[in-house]
Amino acid sequence: MSNKYLILIVEDEPNIASFIGTILEANNFETMFARNGAEAIMLITSHCPDVIILDLGLPDIDGQSIIQSVRSWSNVPIIVVSARTRERDKVMALEAGADDYITKPFGASELLARIRTALRHVQLREGERAKRPNGVFKTGELVVDYDKRRVYVKGQDVHLTQNEYKIVSLLSQYSGRVLTYDSIIKHIWGPNARQGNQILRVNMANIRRKIEESTAEPRYILTEMGVGYRMAEAEE
Amino acid sequence: MKNKKTGRGVRKKAFRLSLKDTLITLCALLLATALCYLLLPLAGNESFEPLLFVLAVLVISRLTDGYFYGVAASILGVLMVNLLFTYPYCKFNFTITGYPISMLCMLATAIITCALTARIKEQEQLMVAAERERMRSNLLRAVSHDLRTPLTAISGACSALIESGDAISVQEKNKLISQIDEDAQWLIRLVENLLIVTRMDAPGGADITKSPEAAEEVAASALSLFRKNFPQANVVVHVPEEVLITPMDGMLIRQVLLNLLENAAAHAEGATRICLDIIRDGDNALFRVSDDGKGIDPELLPHILNGDYKHSLGSSEDKKRNMGIGLSVCSTIVAAHSGQMRAYNGSGRGAVFEFTLPLDNTDEVDGMDIYQDEVDEQAQP
Repeated sequence: MSNKYLILIVEDEPNIASFIGTILEANNFETMFARNGAEAIMLITSHCPDVIILDLGLPDIDGQSIIQSVRSWSNVPIIVVSARTRERDKVMALEAGADDYITKPFGASELLARIRTALRHVQLREGERAKRPNGVFKTGELVVDYDKRRVYVKGQDVHLTQNEYKIVSLLSQYSGRVLTYDSIIKHIWGPNARQGNQILRVNMANIRRKIEESTAEPRYILTEMGVGYRMAEAEE
Repeated sequence: MKNKKTGRGVRKKAFRLSLKDTLITLCALLLATALCYLLLPLAGNESFEPLLFVLAVLVISRLTDGYFYGVAASILGVLMVNLLFTYPYCKFNFTITGYPISMLCMLATAIITCALTARIKEQEQLMVAAERERMRSNLLRAVSHDLRTPLTAISGACSALIESGDAISVQEKNKLISQIDEDAQWLIRLVENLLIVTRMDAPGGADITKSPEAAEEVAASALSLFRKNFPQANVVVHVPEEVLITPMDGMLIRQVLLNLLENAAAHAEGATRICLDIIRDGDNALFRVSDDGKGIDPELLPHILNGDYKHSLGSSEDKKRNMGIGLSVCSTIVAAHSGQMRAYNGSGRGAVFEFTLPLDNTDEVDGMDIYQDEVDEQAQP
């Protein structure tokens, strides 16, 4: 079948590569394996996979430099695999151009959700993305109206401030994907924001008080500790 | 930028330390001189003064760092005895019979005391190091013991599936697989805590980088990780209306909350719910995890937080294994944040674990200011 998506798994541990492969094949993806960076670069250039799953701890080439080199000529989605305690690596990978990350250990459903989000974003990039900011974003009972610059929960206007709206609208445009703290701060307050982290935390806390039912168990804007924020995936 | 700051801090500390030692030296010498003058009318002769100064030198050697202050004090002392308490008074006279001997004696006393106290201090340090080493090997023993049981279970279940898979019913197979999963998850949690222990024990002190975090966000993050492992647990969360911006290493505090939640879920027998509360307590943010289970065994209560791994070793009950390590990780992390942690049994039923983290007031005011600036501007259509 030629219409299956091709996923490249770059992982030096054979057992981990094997279980990822099994999950993907069981869910109708075609898989291909690379055990080191050199092999990965070769396979990416020769086979043009639809998604790359990249472990950051490879024996030969640093994962970051693989991302940079792929990004110089391709927009293929890259999902980085990393351990929970390595938050800095994740942030660096995202800044280098990775699309998303998944934290070890992960289960089948988490992996598949990440891949589907990545594939959906490619489609958006090719088609709807240009249209979307003028339309409406919807997830659960949250609606972002880009034309009126308003946010509604259960049909009620939630009255966000200027910056709060900017944050929500930015996250909604990349829904399902994590945006790093720095990229949000740069986007909203510019590159020289003073005390950016704290302003962002306070703004986010206020946004949550307006749009979430429980701030301790948010549904719409999820915190990725040490990395950034992620808006729940849009509904069709 | 950060390095510069710490460098300056260390230098400042070293300076303050020597200032303190100088003060101690001067005070002790002045005190000795004053005592000499006070006792002079009582004693009648002059033989006790050198002894008083020897005593002062001894005290100085014990209280200050290194040899410098002790030796300096002994030289000063000899000169002062010469100047103030031997004939001719208020004049140096180095020609008295036996003077060089008494001077050498005082100098020798000072040097020997300094050497001895330095040895005592060294031995104290060695004792601390030995204690650390003992804790480390205790931990290693407890951990190895803890690793063996689930690993045996996993490899046993796997061999059952591989070797006699055909003879096992689908139901039993699924049970074995979910047991493997459970043990593997447990091992992952243990290793996560061990990684933190090694990170906190790293030479050069705890490796924590504090940044302002919203307390509720850290709690939410811990809760969502907890839900992955315990989807059926009933957690009631209470977060204050006020945003508590707290300087902390978010990843570590999340681990503390995660450990406390998992501890409640795994050990609170008969619990129907777990409460996670965040409260403002003066200048602190207070995090509290409580349950309505059977509570903490009063015998264990004094040891539960201090990392006494022997207790976790001693208990043979399977699911108690991880408790010692997880909770001692919590108290280590909280202590590294200059917070307070305590565990007690609630007034009703169940156990309460709570810890405080200092809020940074100035930062919070700043944060609120920024918010106030914006609050009136509504998003324009």
